Amino acid sequence: MTNVPPLLRRELNAYFASVLGYVALMFFLLVMGVTFAVVIRYLNTGPTQMTAMKILFSMFWLPSLVVVPMITMRLLAEEKRAGTLEMLMTAPVTDFEVVLAKYLGAVVLYAMMWALTGFYVLIVRHFSSSETMLDLGPIFSGYLGVIVIGQFFIAVGLLASSMTKSQVAAALMSFAVVFMMLIVLNWLTFLFPTGPLGKVFHAVSAFDQMEDFERGIVDVRPVVLYLSGTVLALFITTRVVESRKWR
Amino acid sequence: MQPMIKVEDLTKRYAGATALNGVSFEVQRGEIVGFLGPNGAGKSTTMRILTGFIPASSGRVQVAGLDVFEHSLEVRERVGYMPENNPLYTDMRVSEYLKFRAKLKRLPRSERQERIPEVMELTGIKDVSHRIIGHLSKGYRQRVGLADALLAEPDLLILDEPTIGLDPVQIRQVRQLIKDLGKRHTILLSTHILPEVEMTCNRVIIIHHGRILASDTPESLTKTLNAGGLIQVEVRGPGSEVQAKLRAVENVESIEAKLNEDGFLRVTLTPRPGTDPREKVYQAVASNGWTLRELTRSRTTLEDIFVQITHEEDEAEEERREQGRSVLR
Repeated sequence: MTNVPPLLRRELNAYFASVLGYVALMFFLLVMGVTFAVVIRYLNTGPTQMTAMKILFSMFWLPSLVVVPMITMRLLAEEKRAGTLEMLMTAPVTDFEVVLAKYLGAVVLYAMMWALTGFYVLIVRHFSSSETMLDLGPIFSGYLGVIVIGQFFIAVGLLASSMTKSQVAAALMSFAVVFMMLIVLNWLTFLFPTGPLGKVFHAVSAFDQMEDFERGIVDVRPVVLYLSGTVLALFITTRVVESRKWR
Repeated sequence: MQPMIKVEDLTKRYAGATALNGVSFEVQRGEIVGFLGPNGAGKSTTMRILTGFIPASSGRVQVAGLDVFEHSLEVRERVGYMPENNPLYTDMRVSEYLKFRAKLKRLPRSERQERIPEVMELTGIKDVSHRIIGHLSKGYRQRVGLADALLAEPDLLILDEPTIGLDPVQIRQVRQLIKDLGKRHTILLSTHILPEVEMTCNRVIIIHHGRILASDTPESLTKTLNAGGLIQVEVRGPGSEVQAKLRAVENVESIEAKLNEDGFLRVTLTPRPGTDPREKVYQAVASNGWTLRELTRSRTTLEDIFVQITHEEDEAEEERREQGRSVLR
């Protein structure tokens, strides 16, 4: 694992050496900024049960669906296309170290983006009349939720990137998979509100889980689900990278 | 002493194609060996197996006594590799890239700070150390690749087509650099450009269709595989007499003559394999008092040998195929 820090550093630098990191960041901040502005106006119209950050967290699906494919599509597909994978893999590093560093790089970038929304918390705090309006507990658990769910989708996006030389194909693949797991699963919870199937769908639906996180409830089950999903995705990705050896 | 590279009966099959078929060779420490073959002969495949990028289908491959499959990481620590087309991270600066590579190659910080300027000096990229690799010319990029390969002071340098795509001046510089590096490192380089091998290597391995066809020094390959070049003579004298005398010279197999417009007779002599009858030719001309204007021997190049060997091999293969077909019938 000694090679992970330099590899990770290289990954983070690469985001900002190309236009991609900035575009992803711009997209994220634009969506979140507009949402925040609308939310504040809405909250000013009258008394409500919602808090600004709760509404913001419930927007988590949009960055997952768009930002995750953007920041993962390049990771392995581009290395394969440009041939730099050969440089990388003939240095004394293991395939898993490379996969792990790429995953961590994308997670750090993703977390950095969400961290920037911390300014919204400061803004709300500055203008809120009483301390009670800003409960920090649900804010922390909300951030935990978006990161836990987002990092799993990143692992899935990395897997998609390992399977092709084309960044576009990788982006479309991860978009399709995230769309299935996020949006389609959510629709299924509406189609099956009750019953054994409905129970399963509710348990794995990211929207349902996010609702808990927004409310300040940290349920260990989804955390375990997503982390083990990540382990599986990273394992398969490593195998795909290794597959050059047995093809 | 243990050979630097030891390859025994190496075979690599891809789905539906055999890239290498029972290749065996050795490279001793301190040698500069040229891997010569047309495109698709199996040069890059061999190098990728040597560097542990892909495994062999069968056979044994050792670098510095270590099996490349069993001890992949240890082997990679000892090898400096420049893959075909020299892929680099084009978004990084030269010094930044070398620092990154040095860390991957586990050079401790103090050594890194010493070694990076050293290899930049050696490869002549000091003045571009702050430039972005993607903005450099191909020649400079090639040298960045070489600098990277040299970082960890590897025992063995494996360079896949190091001069491809360079202009003549750059080619010359890179070749000189390789020659200099050969004083301290064992080098295996591949190319399909023949003069390159003749100029830089102590030994040539000719590979074609995944098989090794020849392995020797460039000089003795030239000597043993070919009769040697033709001899050109231009003489002024009585035509038929000149021809008769020259044909009679020892070791001359056949001659061909053509009268130039200015009265000189241009004679092409084919000498017997392994002989050089030039001295006798001169004596024959001089003793008759004829005027001699030219006496040269065209040097057979590796190019001729290469074409000859690969051509023979193709014909043999064709024959085998024919036989196979007739058996089927």
